Amino acid sequence: MSNWTDVAAEADLFEGAGIPVAPGGRDIALFAVDGEVFATDNLCTHGHARLCDGFVEGHEIECPHHQGRFDLRTGDATLAPCTEPIKIWPVKVEGGRVFLDLG
Amino acid sequence: MTTEAPIASPDALHWELGGTSRIPFAVYTDQQRHQRELERFFYKGHWCYVGLEAEIPNAGDFKRSVVGERSVIMTRAADGAIHVVENVCAHRGMRFCRKRHGNQTEFVCPYHQWSYAPNGDLQGVPFRRGVRQDGKVNGGMPADFNPKDHALTKLKVAVRGGVVFASFDHEVESLEDYLGPTILQYFDRLFNGRKLTILGYNRQRIPGNWKLMQENIKDPYHPGLLHTWFVTFGLWRADNKSELRMDAHHRHAAMVSTRGSMGQASGQAAQVTQVSSFKAAMELEDKRFLDIVPEPWWQLGEQMPTAVMTTLFPSVIFQQQVNSVSTRHIQPDGHGAFDFVWTHFGFEDDTAEMTERRLRQANLFGPAGFVSADDGEVIEFSQQAFESKPQHRTLAELGGREVGETDHMVTETLIRGMYEYWRKVMEAPEPSVAKEVSP
Repeated sequence: MSNWTDVAAEADLFEGAGIPVAPGGRDIALFAVDGEVFATDNLCTHGHARLCDGFVEGHEIECPHHQGRFDLRTGDATLAPCTEPIKIWPVKVEGGRVFLDLG
Repeated sequence: MTTEAPIASPDALHWELGGTSRIPFAVYTDQQRHQRELERFFYKGHWCYVGLEAEIPNAGDFKRSVVGERSVIMTRAADGAIHVVENVCAHRGMRFCRKRHGNQTEFVCPYHQWSYAPNGDLQGVPFRRGVRQDGKVNGGMPADFNPKDHALTKLKVAVRGGVVFASFDHEVESLEDYLGPTILQYFDRLFNGRKLTILGYNRQRIPGNWKLMQENIKDPYHPGLLHTWFVTFGLWRADNKSELRMDAHHRHAAMVSTRGSMGQASGQAAQVTQVSSFKAAMELEDKRFLDIVPEPWWQLGEQMPTAVMTTLFPSVIFQQQVNSVSTRHIQPDGHGAFDFVWTHFGFEDDTAEMTERRLRQANLFGPAGFVSADDGEVIEFSQQAFESKPQHRTLAELGGREVGETDHMVTETLIRGMYEYWRKVMEAPEPSVAKEVSP
């Protein structure tokens, strides 16, 4: 069952890095890549670091802590030392607002 | 006006009679000389023992070990390859690994959380690209910072028969050349390709110079005299059929002996050794300590040795005393002490009874062993005497003053041989700065 929740204004996003949002106390990072929006859990599955502070390279987010990477489209870990995938969240943008399906 | 006597150089050792039959106490007492030994024996031109493959059977397994006085980690990477890396963070030099052994996919220094792969490659550096604040990025490593330049120090690794050796010196000769053909045959007899199983460890700190442990196992004179347990219960007789073998450099040795009878102790031992403390009336309460069962692998050519004690210079001793087999790792800590780590092992095809037997016989060894407890003490008391009068010397003239292999045990030739090699290496001029390898 869908549970679309308004989490941010699209205008708050910028290319190159993420922003943190906290719907219902969850820690989630939003990323804008070529006008498309992606959402992942913010806490890296490897070290204790927030991916919103990392660096977007193509469709990958590089963790600021150990330079491990995840694919923003699938959540797959793509570069060591990250090995566990990161949870991704369904996103839609409507009327300049970003919605996440929190399930 | 007086003329002061020139101050003796710390390198100046007086070798009475010119050979190595009289060993200056000062070889055991000087910290500067000890540093030179570490550089020349443990860190350059030699292989050092670090552990057994069976200690890290699975991908991600690791064991913390030591080469000389440097902490190293023996790891097994995801592809099964064994690596040995130095336990010194490439960043601020911290000895980051504290666990003795474990299983993990990476090593993270707790200080700044630099992360390394099991092969020592640097994987990640926190804030390498800086930290974002108010739309700009602050700090970070220089743009030309390349993680490939900042791996952990990787040692050269050699594995043979399940035994892992490492060297900081990547120019070191092959392990096989290092052992030489004579010692290699005794090595291959014990580590003949069967998988090893780990039975347990003993660890002890011995307050004496590390070389004394090598000398102890190159000294077939003492076992029948110091170790009254051996004599009383018939495991050692000076008239056992025996051989003393060395490599071409005389740095490694094997003391090979075969008991006359494979059976239980006989009271006749006293007639050979004349040990006053021999007590014919003494009997073992639990005779299973000497429940010896000959094993096919003991066979070497025409012989069936019951004991082979192999000293590999400088770092390890391989023991076979009847059914008890172990490695003994020498880990120096300054000139006056070393840690001595025993790894008791068996073989994958051992029956449960044989494993029990090996474990029971292991009671003879280790810091509180019926036999080996004696060695720790004599080394400690020797060191105390050396420190009190370093200008004096020991005597190692049993069997003559020369060096050579023998077919008997009544000689200190292996000790003289070891010091012949020691002098060759230690008395060589300093290598030129250009040649110095800085690992």
